Amino acid sequence: MKRLQSSALGKGIAWGLMLVFLFLGAQLGLTALRSARWMPYSDVRQTWEFQSLLRNKEDSVAALFSVNQRLESEGLNYMERQQLTAQLEELREELWMNGGEKGSFCFTVRDLEGEEVFSWGVEQGQDISQAVDTVYYAWFELGHFYAEEGYPAQEAEAGPDGAPLPSEEDPGAAGGEEDPAQPDSGEAAPVRYVIECGVTQPFTGQDELSWLYQSFLNERNAFPSRMGGTVLCLALAAVCLCWILWSAGHGTEGGIVLTWQDNLFLEAYLLVLGGCIAPTVAVGAVSATEAAYRFEYYADIGMREYFPWILLGTAALYTLFGALCALMLRTLAVRFKARTLVRSTLLCRVLIWLGNCAARLWQMGLELARSLPFIWKTILLFCAYCITGAWMYEIGRYSDGFLFLWLLLQLAAFLFLCWWAIGFQRLRKGSRAIAAGELSYQIDTHRMFHDLRLHAEDLNNISVGMRSAVDQQMKSERFKAELITNVSHDLKTPLTSIINYVNLLQSTQQTDPKAVEYIEVLDRKSQRLKKLTEDLVEASKASTGTLSVNREKIGMGQLIDQALGEYGERLEAQRLSVITTLPEEETFVCADGRHLWRVIDNLLSNCCKYAMEGTRVYLELTRGHGQVTLSVKNISREALNVPPERLMERFVRGEESRTTEGSGLGLSIARSLTEIQGGSFELVVDGDLFKAIVTMPQSA
Amino acid sequence: MYTILICDDDRDIVSALEIYLTSEGYRTISASNGRQAIQAAQENEVHLILMDVMMPELDGIRATARLREGSNVPIILLTAKSEDSDKILGLNIGADDYITKPFNPLEVIARVKSQLRRYTALGGADKGPGLLSVGPIAMEDASKQVTVDGSPVALTPIEYNILKLLLSHPGQVFSSAQIYEQVWNDPAYGSENTVAVHIRHLREKIEINPAEPRYLKVVWGLGYKIEKGGN
Repeated sequence: MKRLQSSALGKGIAWGLMLVFLFLGAQLGLTALRSARWMPYSDVRQTWEFQSLLRNKEDSVAALFSVNQRLESEGLNYMERQQLTAQLEELREELWMNGGEKGSFCFTVRDLEGEEVFSWGVEQGQDISQAVDTVYYAWFELGHFYAEEGYPAQEAEAGPDGAPLPSEEDPGAAGGEEDPAQPDSGEAAPVRYVIECGVTQPFTGQDELSWLYQSFLNERNAFPSRMGGTVLCLALAAVCLCWILWSAGHGTEGGIVLTWQDNLFLEAYLLVLGGCIAPTVAVGAVSATEAAYRFEYYADIGMREYFPWILLGTAALYTLFGALCALMLRTLAVRFKARTLVRSTLLCRVLIWLGNCAARLWQMGLELARSLPFIWKTILLFCAYCITGAWMYEIGRYSDGFLFLWLLLQLAAFLFLCWWAIGFQRLRKGSRAIAAGELSYQIDTHRMFHDLRLHAEDLNNISVGMRSAVDQQMKSERFKAELITNVSHDLKTPLTSIINYVNLLQSTQQTDPKAVEYIEVLDRKSQRLKKLTEDLVEASKASTGTLSVNREKIGMGQLIDQALGEYGERLEAQRLSVITTLPEEETFVCADGRHLWRVIDNLLSNCCKYAMEGTRVYLELTRGHGQVTLSVKNISREALNVPPERLMERFVRGEESRTTEGSGLGLSIARSLTEIQGGSFELVVDGDLFKAIVTMPQSA
Repeated sequence: MYTILICDDDRDIVSALEIYLTSEGYRTISASNGRQAIQAAQENEVHLILMDVMMPELDGIRATARLREGSNVPIILLTAKSEDSDKILGLNIGADDYITKPFNPLEVIARVKSQLRRYTALGGADKGPGLLSVGPIAMEDASKQVTVDGSPVALTPIEYNILKLLLSHPGQVFSSAQIYEQVWNDPAYGSENTVAVHIRHLREKIEINPAEPRYLKVVWGLGYKIEKGGN
């Protein structure tokens, strides 16, 4: 199917066949048209052609009779006689009264008394109605036919064909100006005669009437076959056209191939084709009329042999017309298939070009406006506003439209200001969000005033840059945490051996008291190392947020009780007394119990390590504004020479010497754990007073 | 005499453990990876396995799973990973206990003994009407005697009552106030602190490592409970 569609041979054949069928169809159609002329008549005698021939014959009879009468009259000179004789001869020829060939036309001329004066084709004394089945009547006035040189304007008969007898009433219809009552010459009053004429049946003669009859019969008989042939040929041509349209544009490479015809402007192409088609149609129409209606004329003037050529020529013209139409349809089909039907029109191109020009101009204007400094822009806009206002005032002073125009201008200015203000508002909102640390905020720059948009884009870029920096930092933090976790895992294995072998050493009997002391140191330090590695892992996990948090409803009072239960003896050992202040009912927070315990664990452990012996530790639980605050206060043993912020950093302790136990990670872990649960951790140092404040969201 | 298989890729740790366990009177076999451990367990009659988690060739978790296919010998995992998810994974695939590195040798011995007692107890004590037990903890109400892995533990009456309350509702969390009201038969007025101290003492008596309790657990901010099933 595809190959058939793109086959060049198929296209050629289709074109050829279409042309042939068109040609045949045109020719047959023309002949059918000719036949169709006769179709409304059942008898040749009803036709206009027959009537016209008959009238010609009647005129000839009248002329013949008149010439004959004249010849018989006295007083003619030779010259006149010769002239009349030639005239007579001619008329006889016309009426087929010479020679052997016999016409089918017969007539009788009678005077007004009904007396037969002259006849032809009818037996002497016989009534013409016996020779023919239809008798035609006409009357004429003697003398009109030879009054002057040559033929006068003959106005002989006026009697309708069906009228049995001419009457005096109807000459007015035709012979108005030659009224018999008013002879224009001095001759005697004209004498009237009646012609009875007819055509012998069947049209036996060789004259024009018989010929007309013959062609009438032939044409009528041939009509169905001609019509059928025409329809068939045109249908076949239409099939070929369909093939052409179907295969149009399909090349061997696949896809729609546009030829030069299909790339011409559609209007130009149609104009040229239309220009070709119009004369073709005009000439074709004329020659078709000629071929169909003037057939007898050509026959009459002896050009019968040219008639087929006229037919051929006309058919060729119509074929040409068809071919041009097919070309037009073909290019339309190709353009339609290639979806270039609209685009290939000149109008469309022009519109697109105009559109592009307008867009470029607009762009240029916009660029110009944008490149102006902001201050200039403001000044120019304001000037434009003033000038427009003044101009409106000028033209509006004399008309009522002024107020309306002025209002329009004010409305435009108002809308512009609103637009600007909305953009500015968005900008403000965005910068506030970014300033508040919401780095993922992007200001919507859609339909913003140009300068504001530039500003907004700058802000957006800043936030993107900051976000990526923060992401980078987060990533490196996480990497660090992973590294710390891995390193401490690796540290644990040798540490296990150290602890075990120190333990084994302790269990052996040492005689040297120094060795016992050294082993004691080893034991202590190895335990400290163990604690350090554990804290390190925990601190890195807590600070990078890799810990999972299962939030539950936690009773703070319960938790403090449990914690004090755990720490009771250690606190007593340091002679620290704990004073707790709790609200009457249980206070619930939303937190992960294990993590919150670790926070309090670290704080109490700090108290044990760093609080001055014999002092009091205050634990206070308060709530309000949806927050629960736990504060732990104690008096430091050593002077706290470090600011509170530094205390929360890793490996920082209240004293720099690092001789005491503890890793320096406790507060850092406590803060991280509080924060991953959604709380906040704060330290206050006031002289020797150390205060840790943990705030958690209250649970309903 | 029980045979204990020690499996660790660190030679020194194996030696140290061998010394401890031999001095306690156990016979030891050593292996340096999971594959060797499986082979050794098949070739010898082993009563307990100490298995390191991170080892070359076949790690401890997979070896445990492999061993569990055909044996119910107690397995204690030695792990440097101290994250909860690792412990849960180890216990789920069939380990009976775990010890995190760096470990205390005394804790190792205590856990080994505990596991061996349970393994060889042949069905354990009878479940009489007055007997409450969870894991290795058994309480006989009639004689007011509490044993952990068969060895008696001396408890004060209050500790005993607290333990009884928790043992009779394993898995249930009791707040300090609830415990106080039930044990002291008094309304609690801020004296729950006492409960916490008692519980800590109780934990020290029945747990091998009180800082990492396996049975008597602290549910922070909510209360205390005895772990159901007990690990």
